[in-house]
Amino acid sequence: MTVAAPAMTSRGPERSRRRIKIPNERLFYAVLGFVGLLVVWEFASNFDLDPSTPGVQGLVKRILMSAPTLIWKAGVEDFSSGAIWPHITISLQEWFYGFIISCFLGISLGLSLGWFRRFRLATQPLVSALYSTPTIALFPLIVLIAGIGLESKVILVVLASIFAVIINTMVGVQSVSWKHLEIASSFGASQTQIVRSVVLPTTIPFILTGVRLAAGRSLVGVVVAEFQAANQGVGFYIALNGQTLNTARVFIGLVLLGGFGIFVGELVRLVENRFDAWRPSIHR
Amino acid sequence: MTSAPATQDLALSARGVRMEYLDRGTRERFVAIESLDLDIKQGEFVTIVGPSGCGKSTFVKLVNGLLSASQGEILVRSVAKGKSDAMVFQDSALFPWYKIIDNVSYGLVCAGVSKKQAHERAMPLIKLVGLGGFENKYPYQLSGGMQQRANLARALCVDPAILLMDEPFAALDAQTREVMQAELLRIWRGAEAEGGARKTVLFITHQIEEAVFLSDRVVVMSARPGRIMEDIRIDLPRPRDLHVKRTPEFQEYQEQIWQLIASQLKAAASQFGGSKE
Amino acid sequence: MTAGTQMVAVTSNAERQRSRMPRWYRRREASILSFSGLAAFVIIWQLAADLKGLDFTFFFASPSGIIEAAGKEVQLPRFWDDVATSAWELLAGSGVALGLGVPIGLAIGWYRRVGFMFDPWLNFFNALPRIALLPLLVLWLGLGTEMKIAAVSLGAFFSIVVPTAQGVKTVDRNLLDVGRSMDASQGRIFTSIVLPATVPYIISGIRIAIGRGLIGVVVAEFYAQTKGIGVIIVKSQQALNSDRMLFGIILFTISGILLSYATSLLERRFQKWRPGQDMEE
Repeated sequence: MTVAAPAMTSRGPERSRRRIKIPNERLFYAVLGFVGLLVVWEFASNFDLDPSTPGVQGLVKRILMSAPTLIWKAGVEDFSSGAIWPHITISLQEWFYGFIISCFLGISLGLSLGWFRRFRLATQPLVSALYSTPTIALFPLIVLIAGIGLESKVILVVLASIFAVIINTMVGVQSVSWKHLEIASSFGASQTQIVRSVVLPTTIPFILTGVRLAAGRSLVGVVVAEFQAANQGVGFYIALNGQTLNTARVFIGLVLLGGFGIFVGELVRLVENRFDAWRPSIHR
Repeated sequence: MTSAPATQDLALSARGVRMEYLDRGTRERFVAIESLDLDIKQGEFVTIVGPSGCGKSTFVKLVNGLLSASQGEILVRSVAKGKSDAMVFQDSALFPWYKIIDNVSYGLVCAGVSKKQAHERAMPLIKLVGLGGFENKYPYQLSGGMQQRANLARALCVDPAILLMDEPFAALDAQTREVMQAELLRIWRGAEAEGGARKTVLFITHQIEEAVFLSDRVVVMSARPGRIMEDIRIDLPRPRDLHVKRTPEFQEYQEQIWQLIASQLKAAASQFGGSKE
Repeated sequence: MTAGTQMVAVTSNAERQRSRMPRWYRRREASILSFSGLAAFVIIWQLAADLKGLDFTFFFASPSGIIEAAGKEVQLPRFWDDVATSAWELLAGSGVALGLGVPIGLAIGWYRRVGFMFDPWLNFFNALPRIALLPLLVLWLGLGTEMKIAAVSLGAFFSIVVPTAQGVKTVDRNLLDVGRSMDASQGRIFTSIVLPATVPYIISGIRIAIGRGLIGVVVAEFYAQTKGIGVIIVKSQQALNSDRMLFGIILFTISGILLSYATSLLERRFQKWRPGQDMEE
């Protein structure tokens, strides 16, 4: 009787399958995913089950889903006629004021909450309650107090975004290492020197995370405020065109908001990278 | 104020130092150091060894002013220029957000020296510790041994009368540690050659071999509550290199100190076993 | 030897500040301060509202007024109907978000190429205030409960997908090697290694998703104005009843607190593997 020897199989790290090497795989698939969905969308909206009623019996109803080409056409129209610019300007204004106020107020509040233990303890219940509240629920109240002008929208934007800054800054201050404080005091650093050489360098990355989050939440604030009480602004533009079944223009608004969100996010990320030179390999 | 004539050439004098802690968890007081007397002459290299928890690290923090003693007095020689003492901390004690040169010149900047001047004064020290060319790197780009070199340069940079070293090589691997020990002696001599008086060093370690190799005197502390058990003069010729570790005299010193500490550990173990309820 | 210098006593440059307060206070300082801070806030608010000279209550309500409004409100069947509606929207929406978000997040994290393909769209939707999709949802689903559930799940969905994918990507390579060396099948590796390692990430996603979901409830109800706590708030505004309005807002606060408490219980349960920080977006 012969004992069957176990078959030797090759086991490289790449088991099986040979592939075509794609130089920049990441980009390739990203473009594929992006363009692919647009093409499917376009095709689906043009594929009419009943050709006599175009856009009604399709795989997707064109009136509800629009189509990339329709959106493009409407976009060109609104930008060349200039009809959309007032909306963009007013939204930018609301966003900017709210965001800047949130950053300044949030950072200073966060620093003091992190640094002064008693202050933090005394305000803790209130801060965490407000942090858990969907602050945009306060908008009707804000309208009662501040009317429906720019002020009430800026206040809502601040409320929507400030807690991201406060909490992150506070956590940053609290994560200052005891050892680093000890070193500073060993070399006779003064209070200001301690803040400059230890507290701020530790806290800045946290602050920037807060700022990045706040940029996005400010945008949420802008949209909600404009949905509720406005006659101008990108949020209003979206809501109005939604109600009038002008779907392509709803998508234009969404593209504007998403594009702006990405732009601001990347901007803050650039700043973050600049402050992160001292950190090993956290560059994303 | 003590002003006995005997203090003339002393760099440090501790009298009756006692340190109590309040444990935050158990709310019990315990004595970290019990009545410690220690004199260190100017230019002496003194090492304190002892089992962990004997209060040796606490003692350097007291000297450095990071803690204040419950009782007793510590005197250090004041200096006309520079600082009376500076600390070389344990591992990873550099500010990760500063480049090496900014870390090394930190003490000077704290003392109000302009950044430019501080950098100028830091450069020779960076070269002395063997980090020339690395001054613009961040700490994470350096190995553990190199980080401790920078740590040493930072303390030397403020030109202290006493250099306090709190287990500076504890986190290094065995080989790097040996290299750093030899390097420390070289730098110690180098600093002497550069600027006048030989530095007084107070070194803390739990490694007996390290203590014997580096020191003029080894002070052996007992387990908690910490007090001085023995003060041993190491009469090995200087300059020393790593070969000295293989001489019989060296081994004898090592053996002597080991016996002292071992007796402590045994006592502690039996006491711990006995007090178990 | 340097002549002329002398010995000086070391003084601590970091003298610890001992609290002079009595011991019973020091022990409970945290709770005492928190409680008195809150109490002071409520009392000052009430006193300010009671100043008849100012036309203050109209805008800001007052603690006593809110309690009164709450007392009236809870006796109405309509109120409980509203609460049930909002709760259902939140629950169903979160369920949908979780049910879709976890598998998609796992797929994106596990299949590299799928991840690459989704990348541009994920980035876009992450940067977009999802709440802006509301008019579209109304167009597609009408003003009923479905629309609100969709709004909630859209809000929460991306907060779950992103950390889940992140969790899968950061699974310890060594563990995967262990699995492979034991000839475990892909499926086995996935269920025994990848999934458990990802759970804490999913939970930290849930923590963020709760906030987003609540925002979804509020805005969708503001927008459609049919039923729910959001409608209580809007209707009170129109009736200039700020006491009842604040009661509605406080209801959202309470549910936010309760839900995040529930998540931290869940988190504690999985503490062993908890990632260092919450990953927002």
